[in-house]
Amino acid sequence: MNTVAKIKSLKNIIPLSLTGAMTIFAFSFSCNHKEKEKVDFNAEIRPIINNKCISCHGGVKQSGEFSLLFESEALSATKSGEPAIIPGHAEESEMIKRILHEDPEVRMPPEGPPLSKEEVEVLKKWINQGAKWEDHWSFIPPQQPELPEVSESDWAKNPIDAFVLEKMEEKGLSPSPQASPASLARRLSLDLTGLPPTEELVQRLKDNPDLDNYEKIVDELLASPQYGERWAAMWMDLARYADTKGYQKDRHRPMWKFRDWVIDAFNQNMPFDQFTIEQIAGDLLPDPSKEQLIATGFHRNTMTNDESGTDDEEFRVAAVLDRVNTTWEVWQGITFACVQCHSHPYDPIKHEEFYEFYAFFNNTKDADTWTDSPTLPVYTKIEEQERQSILKWIDSVNTLAPQTKYQFAHQIEEKETKLKKIKPDPLPVMSELPEEERRKTFVFERGNWMEHGKEVQPGVPGSMPDFPESFEKNRLGLAKWLVSKENPLTARVTVNRVWAQLFGKGIVETQEDFGSQGFAPTHPELLDWMATNWMHEQNWQFKPLLKMMVMSATYRQSSEVSKEALEKDAANYWLSRGPRVRLTAEQVRDQALAVSGLLSKKMFGPSVMPPQPDGVWQVINNPEKWILSKGEDQHRRGIYTYWRRTSPYPSMVSFDSPSREFCVNRRIRTNTPLQALVTMNDPVYVEAAQALAKRMRSEGDVIEEQLSKGYEMALFHQPDQKVLASLKDLYQTAYQHFKESGEGLENLGTKQMDTELNALTMTANAILNLDGFITKD
Amino acid sequence: MNLFEEAIIKNAELNTRRHFLKKCLSGMGALTLGSFLGGSLSSCGRSDLATGVDLNNPMKALPSHFIPKAKRVIYLHMAGAPSQLELFDYKPELQKLNGLDCPPSLLEGKRFAFIEGTPQMLGPQFDFKQHGQSGAWVTDRMPHFATNVDDVCFLKAMHTDEFNHAPAQLLMHTGSARLGKPSIGSWVTYGLGSENQNLPGFVVFVSGGTTPSAGKSIWGSGFLPTVYQGVQCRSKGDPVLYLSDPKGVSRDLREKTINIINDINKKQFQEVGDPEIMTRISQYEMAFKMQMSVPETMDISDEPEYIHEMYGTEPGKSSFANNCLLARRLAEKGVRFIQLYHYGWDSHGSNYKEALNHGFNERCQEVDKPISALLNDLKQRGLLDDTLVVWGGEFGRTPMRENRGGKEMKFLGRDHHLEAFTMWMAGGGVKSGYSIGETDEIGYYGIKDRVHVHDLQATILHLLGMDHEKLTYQFQGRDFRLTDVHGNIVEKIIA
Repeated sequence: MNTVAKIKSLKNIIPLSLTGAMTIFAFSFSCNHKEKEKVDFNAEIRPIINNKCISCHGGVKQSGEFSLLFESEALSATKSGEPAIIPGHAEESEMIKRILHEDPEVRMPPEGPPLSKEEVEVLKKWINQGAKWEDHWSFIPPQQPELPEVSESDWAKNPIDAFVLEKMEEKGLSPSPQASPASLARRLSLDLTGLPPTEELVQRLKDNPDLDNYEKIVDELLASPQYGERWAAMWMDLARYADTKGYQKDRHRPMWKFRDWVIDAFNQNMPFDQFTIEQIAGDLLPDPSKEQLIATGFHRNTMTNDESGTDDEEFRVAAVLDRVNTTWEVWQGITFACVQCHSHPYDPIKHEEFYEFYAFFNNTKDADTWTDSPTLPVYTKIEEQERQSILKWIDSVNTLAPQTKYQFAHQIEEKETKLKKIKPDPLPVMSELPEEERRKTFVFERGNWMEHGKEVQPGVPGSMPDFPESFEKNRLGLAKWLVSKENPLTARVTVNRVWAQLFGKGIVETQEDFGSQGFAPTHPELLDWMATNWMHEQNWQFKPLLKMMVMSATYRQSSEVSKEALEKDAANYWLSRGPRVRLTAEQVRDQALAVSGLLSKKMFGPSVMPPQPDGVWQVINNPEKWILSKGEDQHRRGIYTYWRRTSPYPSMVSFDSPSREFCVNRRIRTNTPLQALVTMNDPVYVEAAQALAKRMRSEGDVIEEQLSKGYEMALFHQPDQKVLASLKDLYQTAYQHFKESGEGLENLGTKQMDTELNALTMTANAILNLDGFITKD
Repeated sequence: MNLFEEAIIKNAELNTRRHFLKKCLSGMGALTLGSFLGGSLSSCGRSDLATGVDLNNPMKALPSHFIPKAKRVIYLHMAGAPSQLELFDYKPELQKLNGLDCPPSLLEGKRFAFIEGTPQMLGPQFDFKQHGQSGAWVTDRMPHFATNVDDVCFLKAMHTDEFNHAPAQLLMHTGSARLGKPSIGSWVTYGLGSENQNLPGFVVFVSGGTTPSAGKSIWGSGFLPTVYQGVQCRSKGDPVLYLSDPKGVSRDLREKTINIINDINKKQFQEVGDPEIMTRISQYEMAFKMQMSVPETMDISDEPEYIHEMYGTEPGKSSFANNCLLARRLAEKGVRFIQLYHYGWDSHGSNYKEALNHGFNERCQEVDKPISALLNDLKQRGLLDDTLVVWGGEFGRTPMRENRGGKEMKFLGRDHHLEAFTMWMAGGGVKSGYSIGETDEIGYYGIKDRVHVHDLQATILHLLGMDHEKLTYQFQGRDFRLTDVHGNIVEKIIA
């Protein structure tokens, strides 16, 4: 008998041995009731495996040739020649033996504390029940769940509320009262348009806080052009939109037309499936429109390296890799970057599958060249109108008889010169290589682009729904696959992202990771209900989805929190109060400009350069300069601010905006002293305070009136006596200071000597720094 | 509890809270989430559960993984890559080969930035002498620094993967040649916070006329929260952006404004109960203090004359010397990571500025005295023991003379070289008067104790009490770290 066979025969004896059989018997007897319950793999087993085992027995390392990532792998023979898990026989399974081993040198896991008794018991139970793997929850397509029954049913205004209330009741929490009309109007306006409400809108809701009236306001805000700007701002981080190419040189790149496309798409309420298909594969649609080509700018936001002596192929590959990773981040909420080098350590995606997916993107014409070709000539909306009118004029003149036409010769010439003067910007777009130039795709060994492994064909991971035969095996088919109703992730990920924008965090808090390392959803049924409803009933449209969310009683709760609720649920996971979160970088800027009356409503076009401190842009070998925009362009919304990847607008960086070198799915919200310095001292915010001060002065003759009005213009409720007294105190101190010192207030090169106005400016500066102002509540 | 279990628990206690939070929450199902949130979360403030960052006090000083030898770092980066062959890696053999054609064996399969055809060998351009008890070889260009060699630990067989400035600087400072990764200072402040909340935890100074080729990304925070990016202290305008009040506003008036803002915010807190408001109140107080302490710290005019003499500093001027003195002042105040960049070491020989016999000389003069003063000053204040000083460029230079376009150039210079260069460290738990690593007779390859950039990074983190394999941050699903999947601690240099 050889050694292996000997071990095998010995192992076969073990379950028959008295002790083994006794243990199983004793256990099953004592836990008879519990033993019958089926172990929930995802809730009970996967967390143990992921925390304690998988770093050595997963997709990266398979110590002892044992991996717990896929069922088939886990149940097959390990290095010893034997499987470590024997379904139905926990005591006999090497995995359990090693976990229970007395010798710490042999016991698993080798580092960290041994598994708890409970963990061991549940693992055994699971093996005894057959050691069945389940797909991770997010890989199982959502089914529309039944609405739960709840006791406080008149609170619930729509299905969202039923799901939320059920959880609240489970946790011993109860809903907060509805927020005040003013607070609700502000929340709603900031959420839907990114701007504070008009005073008129607040008054309308105060006069009639009924749900019908509220709904009217919701519809109006969703229909306003600012809606598109606000929601496009969210998409910009995902699209890694920037006005420069990145890398060392980081030169200018005219991408703004793509940003404008996104704003339009949101405003037109374009369904998300179409929104997806046009951005990923607009060029492959039959007879694509110019707009559909512009949409493909999405994946041309990858960086280009202009440095001399760099290998264009290396950076073309880097761009394609980024397209793969970004596509997974944005649509699937699954982190894919790790699969570039090896199989996914936690999720069922194999190394090779990364490159099958990569193959979809590997055949576009762009190749990290200096010109960023292929590009599409694009014009601003105004230029486009002008061009059209000239072209129309020329056409009509051309129809005239030669004799008459002759009289217009001079004008024709003039018009043609004018036409030539309207120079287009070259927008980088996607374009597929012709058949004869197509590249082959290989697996990159250990992720190294120069080490080719086996050749692969376009495909999607085996753990995901099949790629239908009827879909084109190219980007277009891929885009369709992403938004097919069978895809388990796209709708969930997107609905969750929208939810997070309103409520401050997602139902899955790790918006960027729906994989097994991400957080489990707090309200899984709610998420699935909204995802399925969005696909099937709301036809993938954002406006009805948002409307449903903001109409819910959940959303309309006051954000005030009792000590008790804070203790029970500090982070408001169970939604027993309204959201209270700091505004985004763009919103902080836009709001200050809006309440001070400075904000320009001008939309679209090339990005602008509002005031920025000197010297911020000093970068070697790049002559490009920050040239202060003129007139109203200084006061445009944040989404139009020029975005240079290696030096993004500093005040926005302070408020956690990313550099846009790569796709970022979730901004972290910090709270730092540098933020206070921005809103107190950045000339942009001082200018806003000065403008607000002027508005305040024009609103009344008495100082109390002016202060009260200023506070109300920013926060939409009147200050109480104490707040008013504080503001007055500040006003008087400031007034004394400017009067006694004879100082003026200097900002952006202008010195203001009006003592009253300067004192008012200081109070306006304080108002624009209040927590209630910086925060959506 | 047996000994083994006890050790494990001790170890767990030593783990940073950040690490603990991440560990115990990742993959935790919703079932347990609720009970956890009810308990310990409210007592440990508002932490981002996915990253473990304390969002209300992201710069709070945190315990290291194990007992650190160094508490802070002063990193002197010589942007452009100074020639090791003219400074510390003395090669008399190379002198003998001066002017001879480079043998083809040295050129085969090599890529250079500029060398073409057959270049000539170039001997060391300056005299070398041995110094101190350690007998370290030092160029005559660094007479002041030569007196410090017994406090210094040389790494003479450094090597890197990149031979262009920007990617090599990125690799040196972020562990990756591509943009988008956090810099070492960001990693360190993410892991350890800072000891002084009135000053930024990671401060950057630039001298030599411009920022290094790789731009601000080499002190960027990459995918870490932006609060961890280096704060560049500028010599013109506000030392920190938006630090100064609008012109015409006095300190008293700003204080009054902040008091009023905070009074109203306190009232707001009483009404709505959101603890975030209390944090905002303390951030405004901190901003006010920072407005005082940053200019105070940056104003070197209060230093005694002998200090100015020692460093060669002139208040109000922008210079490497001033930055060295500022580095000492910040180190004294507990700033965690102080990064200096000095531009202009790219001695190709293509012009006067980039010539070994001209510009290089001037650079040496600019840094020699201040560096020596910094080391002496730290030492006399007892700060050198727990301050790690790191010096070096992004790569080395070739033993061959550069012949751009295959022609003899007007000035003497050397091309970029990734196989061998010298760095040094001092204080903060490294051996003093020590040298590790050897290059071959012409300084072309490291032949003994080669140290890769990732090894250096692992060692710096180690000296700070951090395990480079455990200091991680999850981004796009992967646990990233400074050293990627590489890095070995250079045990031999640890005191």
